Amino acid sequence: MSGLDDPHQLDASAFHRTVHSFEFWFETVEGYLHGREYGVSPATREVELSEHQRQSLITILCNYCVGETAALDASSGMIGFAPDRLSKIFLSTQVVDEGRHLEVMLHRLAQLGIRDPEAEIPQRANRSLLKFKERLLDFVHASDWEAAVLAQNVILECMEYTVFRYHAAHADPITSEMLSGVVSDERRHMGFGENDLGRRLIAAPHAHERLLKIKRELDPLILDTFSETMGELGIEPASRPDLASEYLGAVARLGFQS
Amino acid sequence: MNDPLESQRGATEKRPRQVFELDETGFNEVPPRYRRFYRRWKGAGDSLAPNEVKCPVCKVVIRSRVELRAGDRVYCMPCMSRLEVVDENGELVAKVLY
Repeated sequence: MSGLDDPHQLDASAFHRTVHSFEFWFETVEGYLHGREYGVSPATREVELSEHQRQSLITILCNYCVGETAALDASSGMIGFAPDRLSKIFLSTQVVDEGRHLEVMLHRLAQLGIRDPEAEIPQRANRSLLKFKERLLDFVHASDWEAAVLAQNVILECMEYTVFRYHAAHADPITSEMLSGVVSDERRHMGFGENDLGRRLIAAPHAHERLLKIKRELDPLILDTFSETMGELGIEPASRPDLASEYLGAVARLGFQS
Repeated sequence: MNDPLESQRGATEKRPRQVFELDETGFNEVPPRYRRFYRRWKGAGDSLAPNEVKCPVCKVVIRSRVELRAGDRVYCMPCMSRLEVVDENGELVAKVLY
């Protein structure tokens, strides 16, 4: 094995250049998306869902579409005021990821019989998630980098990462495989957010108090969305995945008290 | 007086590190040349080898060609994190370096 292929031998700047690059992204997504149309292998078969299961899945997917649209709108907007070129390049890969997520979810909704998702999504959207989206886009329109990274790449991505992983483990085979590919993308988005914000808070600790206020405003919105999604999945509160292990763990590492 | 823990730590530092041959693990979320350096955590019942540490951000298992020791720096490419290996109550864990 060549020492050049050992990632742990890279210096910090070479590591950052590598993982933020389109080259890295191309070779990475090829590993888990190649040969999977709309994120699903040809061999994966549909199973019959009861009408109750179908309706629940449609509602959940409509809300996932709200979250993915928020991330698509926000990440594309953030490119314009990203503080450095590596961040702009990384965000451009995130835009492609978010566009793909939205596409595979709309495709799944069509498979479930939804003919007009533009009409269906607003009817089934969680009010707290819509409010979260509105606040996220406020930060983007204000070119507020720290607040936008916190809201999108830490709070929203951590919630999606937790929910999608849990849902993938319990969903029908097609939804499960589609979500697994999305989860693999979310790792990068979430990691980018925590690491970028972590570096910024070290350089500008005074930003901490302002971001804590934003976090306190957004927490109830994201926790309500999480709770409603778990309810749609039919998961009793005692059996729900531990959001603390992802979201609260990430914010604790960044020094935010819950 | 000799501190037994210090003596043990000193002995570990002097002992040559074990070297590991890394095989493919089926992990496919980084470019092919880096894949053997990572694997998925299999949940309860899984355990870490002396050359492995778990990423606190994305929970992927990071693998090294040599036995890991406190103070080592490793990278989690799947979530883009730079990490330091630390000894926490006798157990090696990874902490994020921002």
